[in-house]
Amino acid sequence: MDNKQNNTREWFHGLTALILALFLLGISSGLGVMKNIVDLWGAALAVPEYPAVIMREIFVGWRLWSRDKDFLDTEVKKLRDENALLRRELARLTGEKIYSDDLKSTREKNSRTARITLRAPLSWWNEIRIDKGESDNITQGLPIFYEGYLIGRISSVSLMSSWAELITSSSFMIPAVIEETRELGVVAGDGNGSVFLHYIPAGRGVKSGMRVSTAMIGEQLAPGLPIGKIAGEFSSASEGYATYKIQPGAELSKFYTVNY
Amino acid sequence: MFLVILWLLQDFLTVFAGGGMQIPGLFMLGIIYRLICKDDSDGSLWAIWSAFAGGILWDLRWVGIPGFFTLGNVIVVMLVIKVWGSIPPQGRVSGTGLLIFILMEVSQLVPPLIPIIILGGDTGWTFFFLQQIYSLPAILLTLRVVLKKLKEKAI
Repeated sequence: MDNKQNNTREWFHGLTALILALFLLGISSGLGVMKNIVDLWGAALAVPEYPAVIMREIFVGWRLWSRDKDFLDTEVKKLRDENALLRRELARLTGEKIYSDDLKSTREKNSRTARITLRAPLSWWNEIRIDKGESDNITQGLPIFYEGYLIGRISSVSLMSSWAELITSSSFMIPAVIEETRELGVVAGDGNGSVFLHYIPAGRGVKSGMRVSTAMIGEQLAPGLPIGKIAGEFSSASEGYATYKIQPGAELSKFYTVNY
Repeated sequence: MFLVILWLLQDFLTVFAGGGMQIPGLFMLGIIYRLICKDDSDGSLWAIWSAFAGGILWDLRWVGIPGFFTLGNVIVVMLVIKVWGSIPPQGRVSGTGLLIFILMEVSQLVPPLIPIIILGGDTGWTFFFLQQIYSLPAILLTLRVVLKKLKEKAI
């Protein structure tokens, strides 16, 4: 009996609540006073909601900061690349001195790394094999670097690996420039760990420590890639041209990876 | 007090989400939890009027026109009272998980559905569906707590 009474009471209260809700829904949209009540209730809730507002502001601020940072990083990278390209172009057009070291840091940031998988004792100073190939966008003639300095270029490419000819190889010959004097010559190795700069006119004030980088003379290599420094005069030929020994910027006796 | 805290928590989370995501109806889940786990002698009138009051306050804060969530909340509570009341006390422990899940899902479905049906709008429907997805973890968590409580009661 009690249970039935309870049920009836619940239904009565439930129906009353439903009718009240419907009544409120029907009349409240037309009541001007409702706006005031809504405002009042909103103001009262502003106190418990305050921490949520602060937390949201912090969260949104952090998200915006993170998004802006990503955007700025991309823009800076784009501008760096563009700047490096323009400086090279400017140097080519005006003959102005720009130092390859300035471009080195930019290139280091944008480069990818490959692991050396073979350096045969019989061709120790001539070639290496790396673990990147066609599938990694390696192409023949691509320069490779170590510690930001040119150490060779890709000589053959297969799908998963490539061979690179080292700067110390006797068949490696590239046009180069002494950055301080703009004298042009040819860099070549001797197959025994040494690198030389040939065909520099004698008596042009070339000194030890001057920087040598690639020159843009119709080669596949871009200009301004740092190679090393003049270590000293090696020989002076009778035709008035000197050969200089170069100290490569990269430590060629202890590298396990290369950048490209 | 428990329901007041849940209402404030739901409001707090809604402010924090700032419209970016829909918040589960914690207040209604709390009412269902109490309705299911209560003793029969306690009656259910408190649930009807708590749902009514909570609905009005929610409407005043987030809809601007009282009546939408008020109506939805009361409908859900009446449904839960009717369905749960029709199961004999001996059979309320085992095998009721699915039924409780459905009741909880209805509690998340009906109250926000009423303003969308009446007011309409594309964003309304999108938000409504998103809320159902976001509600699922809260529903499953409450279901787990309810089933545990029912088992304890049975022992």
